[in-house]
Amino acid sequence: MDGHFVPPDVIEVEGLVKVYGRKGGTRALNGVSFSVPKGDIFGFLGPNGAGKTTTIRILSTVLAPTGGTVRIAGHDVHEDPMAVKERIGVMPDEVSFYPTLTGLAHLQYYASFHGIPRAAAKRRAIDLLGQVGIGDVARKKVKTYSHGMKKRLALAQSLLHDPELLIMDEPASGLDPQGMRYFRDLIRFLNGKGKTVFLSSHLLSEVEQLCEHVGIIDRGRIVAADSIANLSSKMSAGAPIILRVTAEGITDEAIASVTSISGVTGATRTANGLDVTVQSGTDVGPDVSKALVLAGARLKELKTSERSLEDLFFALTKGGRV
Amino acid sequence: MKAPAFLRGLVPVGWHEFYVNLRSVRMLIMIIVLALIMVGGAYGIGRGSSAGGPSIAPLVAWVHPAIGTSGEHIAVAWVSDPFGVPLPGATVSFTDLSVQPPAPLGTTSADADGFARLAVGNRSSIGITVRTGNAESGSGVFFDRPVENFTVETRQEALDTDSVPNDLGVHVLGRAGVPVAARLWLNDTYVKDVDSRGYGRLELPLGPSNVTIEVAGENQTRAVFTSKPLPSPFFTIGPDFVLLIMAAGFATFVIPIFAVVVTFDAISKERVQGTLDLLLSRPASRVGTLLGKFLGTFAAVALPVTLVNLAGIAVLTAVSGKGPTGSFALAFLGLSLLLIAFYIPLQLIFSTLAKTSGTAILFGFLVWLAFNILYPVITFVLSSVLFPNSFQAQFQFSQVVGLGNPSSIYTQLVTFAAPEAIRFSFGGGSTLSLTAVASAALVWFVGMLALAMWTFQRKAAE
Ligand SMILES: Nc1ncnc2c1ncn2[C@@H]1O[C@H](COP(=O)(O)OP(=O)(O)O)[C@@H](O)[C@H]1O
Ligand SMILES: [Mg+2]
Repeated sequence: MDGHFVPPDVIEVEGLVKVYGRKGGTRALNGVSFSVPKGDIFGFLGPNGAGKTTTIRILSTVLAPTGGTVRIAGHDVHEDPMAVKERIGVMPDEVSFYPTLTGLAHLQYYASFHGIPRAAAKRRAIDLLGQVGIGDVARKKVKTYSHGMKKRLALAQSLLHDPELLIMDEPASGLDPQGMRYFRDLIRFLNGKGKTVFLSSHLLSEVEQLCEHVGIIDRGRIVAADSIANLSSKMSAGAPIILRVTAEGITDEAIASVTSISGVTGATRTANGLDVTVQSGTDVGPDVSKALVLAGARLKELKTSERSLEDLFFALTKGGRV
Repeated sequence: MKAPAFLRGLVPVGWHEFYVNLRSVRMLIMIIVLALIMVGGAYGIGRGSSAGGPSIAPLVAWVHPAIGTSGEHIAVAWVSDPFGVPLPGATVSFTDLSVQPPAPLGTTSADADGFARLAVGNRSSIGITVRTGNAESGSGVFFDRPVENFTVETRQEALDTDSVPNDLGVHVLGRAGVPVAARLWLNDTYVKDVDSRGYGRLELPLGPSNVTIEVAGENQTRAVFTSKPLPSPFFTIGPDFVLLIMAAGFATFVIPIFAVVVTFDAISKERVQGTLDLLLSRPASRVGTLLGKFLGTFAAVALPVTLVNLAGIAVLTAVSGKGPTGSFALAFLGLSLLLIAFYIPLQLIFSTLAKTSGTAILFGFLVWLAFNILYPVITFVLSSVLFPNSFQAQFQFSQVVGLGNPSSIYTQLVTFAAPEAIRFSFGGGSTLSLTAVASAALVWFVGMLALAMWTFQRKAAE
């Protein structure tokens, strides 16, 4: 990166705290800090109840934080909410609309906040509805829409004013695989056009496929924030490796002789064999098989299992440590 | 055109609110309920009061004896409204009253000038009945004395609004039963000539007067007497009184219900259906958004309420034959809007706080109950406990305490606007000054709106 242009951060969050209700209420956020560079697709990952929606509502100027600061494109959400509102497109977690208005009427209503002239707003609305694939139901009341159609309408409204930052709360929730794929492609497309995307999810797989950077939140705290690549290599660097051994006739002597091999830190019996924990950077596979065979075990298979990001996510969000 | 930053969002939210509310089912229901009460009430009470109130006959038969060229008796009737305008086409029936039973002599229609004549030979008592629509009036013509050179009929009534019976209608015909030039004198002062149909009207002074009719140098004088107006009754039944019942009775109850029903979930509904976050993330200030909610719902309620009120006034005018005092009617229209403006900010506050539709409905109902039932009842109980011996003090107490109640402020303002004559008839007549009550109204409205803004700012998203 040295000497290269470093894009400014579009989102800068520092020490964010949110306590719902009066003092002593739910502490939904407890000192959250992270930043999102311009042009990024940032994944905000965490289990249910971690504080993702709370963070997003603060970012979108809906909710006032109890403490901490949030800046979007350099504007403080508290001091200059109007500047922030004009630069963000928000897709909330629940896609809910006025049941008796049409999709088109929704977009026209929302456009009127952005000072888009009526005729232009209508053209843009019809255009967008076509782009997100619900042009044919543009003049139907929203109460007749399927969940997928509402998701698409939610996306369309977030794009009305061509915002530089898209904030999406669980965009994939409730979608079928085709719908998920459609949204993934669209998010990549929008990102390609220069929009920064901040999306939350409780599914690692989704984030892994889309995002360059992730922040992992658990119980109101950020437990990891880095690029996917860095997180993965951190995993492979320091983390122990497990050898899955499938064998019969493993005696206690066999286990003892395996644990005595240098680089092996532990061995536990499993249903069809043995799990051997090995320090990373050592290659003890042949030594382990040799020791087992010498001790009289009938060896069938020996597999290295690397820890995945999934393991990391679970470890982090269940109070475990790397 | 860009709104100032602190008001941004007012116009979009206002229009949206107006549009969505006007098309809602509950709006339709409330319009029907309001129309039934206000227009139905105007019709029902208006009819009842016009039947019981003082009334004047809608048509008058001026009858004269006359003598034909060959000496035969002619019965003459001139048919007019109470103000001397002829009613051509009125049905006129003649009856011989000198036989038993009376014998019909014939029926004709009044001519273009309102006259009907029948030669009756030498019969001496003729009954005449005139009819237009379903109004009927009758009189008799008698030839028991020689017919003079001209004959005079008079009728003393209260034809204008002073309710003093000092309007004297005079009708003069020559001996042949046709109009003649006649001069009218009042207490030896010439006043005017009769018109081409023989009619003239004089306004009499109080007390006794002499009215002289002069035809071709010959005079007839009638002594008349005008009494003082009757001491005015406790109240006068009429369109103003009916309007007072509509304004201080019906509207006080039903308009707040209308406002509550339309606005109780103006904000909680957005929260419950999940559209609130999307709204709050738009480039709109909280103040602008709330004012938009206020103006949109206000307009959506004010428009149908004003139309129904106008319909009520129209129906009242139609059934009582006379409209209410213009300034009172205008004040009623305006104060109805004020009543709506009182209740909406209150609903917006509770709607901001309500987390579910159930609580919102409960809050809405309680607000109505509090100010329309509980508050007056508690005030009444307190006043009778505090001032057991003085009616006057109780009344004053309830009016002062009432300044904390929007419905009571409204009622007091209505009685200020009512015409003097009926002001005291409906528990009205303020012991407070208009300035005091109007200031209370202003404080109430501005205070509640400010509180609504504050609440919305702090609690909308929580
Ligand atoms: N409006 C609210 N009032 C009180 N507590 C809330 C509210 N919204 C969320 N919470 C609480 O805050 C915590 C974080 O919730 P949320 O931000 O919705 O998590 P996520 O979106 O990650 O599932 C949870 O414990 C939740 O119960
Ligand atoms: Mg959530």
